[in-house]
Amino acid sequence: MQSKSVPKDSKAIHKKSEPQVQSHDSAPVHARSKNTLRTTDASPAAGPAQPLAAEARPIQQQQRRNPPIAGELNAIALAQAGDGASFEILYNMHKRRVYSLCLRMLGNVAEAEDLTQEAFLQLHRKIGTFRGDSAFSTWLHRMAVNVVLMHLRKKGLPLVSLEETLEPTQEDGPRKDFGTRDLTLSGSIDRVTLERAVQELPPGYRMVFVLHDVEGYEHNEIAGMLGCSIGNSKSQLHKARMRLRSLLRENADGRADA
Amino acid sequence: MTSMTTNTPKECSEFQEQLPDFFDSGGDRIEHPHLNTCANCSALVRDLNYIAAQAKLLMPIHDPSPAVWENISHALAKKPTAGRASEDDGAS
Repeated sequence: MQSKSVPKDSKAIHKKSEPQVQSHDSAPVHARSKNTLRTTDASPAAGPAQPLAAEARPIQQQQRRNPPIAGELNAIALAQAGDGASFEILYNMHKRRVYSLCLRMLGNVAEAEDLTQEAFLQLHRKIGTFRGDSAFSTWLHRMAVNVVLMHLRKKGLPLVSLEETLEPTQEDGPRKDFGTRDLTLSGSIDRVTLERAVQELPPGYRMVFVLHDVEGYEHNEIAGMLGCSIGNSKSQLHKARMRLRSLLRENADGRADA
Repeated sequence: MTSMTTNTPKECSEFQEQLPDFFDSGGDRIEHPHLNTCANCSALVRDLNYIAAQAKLLMPIHDPSPAVWENISHALAKKPTAGRASEDDGAS
């Protein structure tokens, strides 16, 4: 979406702010050296200044997944100073990925849009605390994940099932595969088929699969976000992949029979 | 794949129970003696690796509707305190 699609009354947020930002705790990312930056957690409970988190990924690893976007640093600095037009630029840079993340985690368009909206409103409230210790998109996506998780907790949904599935039942456990089929999936999955299969996963499985395999979070990060053990996260991921394999095989078998 | 599928279900079961840890430590290059002799578990590992690899290629494909930004801008217009997170706003 380009700026021209902004409703007229949105100009109310476009303050005539000074682009020059003072060098203090809320200074923009470009005003400070990376060597002197401190980690700012994007979790809802994060304060304005946190010591370097032990589980923080190396900057290089984060930037491989979320490479910087041209013009982003400048837009962040201006948005931190209260410039609404720059905040809209940030929205347009990141709306697709944040929305896709919400949609994959929730599987529901209306909820995904509501939570995308909530994530960006939270971003607006907290952008002054972003210090550039991680890629901005990493920080924002973590914020969006937390918004989704809080939403799911309020609904009393799937996070509880994470622990329940530690004791796998015949139905939802990681089925062992002793068959002798020689069919392998390699080369048979297209993106649409995989997206559909992911949406068929139980919510707890889908959550861990999306966070780990699609978004690239590590198990220790997922465990922290979901409030479960690292072993539980690994177990859920494995079950998710096994279930996907089963779903994708059924799909492949169905096509073969057609 | 030659001279395989001579394994017992017990061997396969024990191997598959350890798979989450194998994947976590070995990435997509799991090396285990069982895989040298079991076509079924080899196919399983290949499939799970393939699924994980395909998942990494999933791209953000959807834009939210224009109504999302309209709602955001309306909300911000009512509370134009951009970039000023309150320190006691932590529970939000």
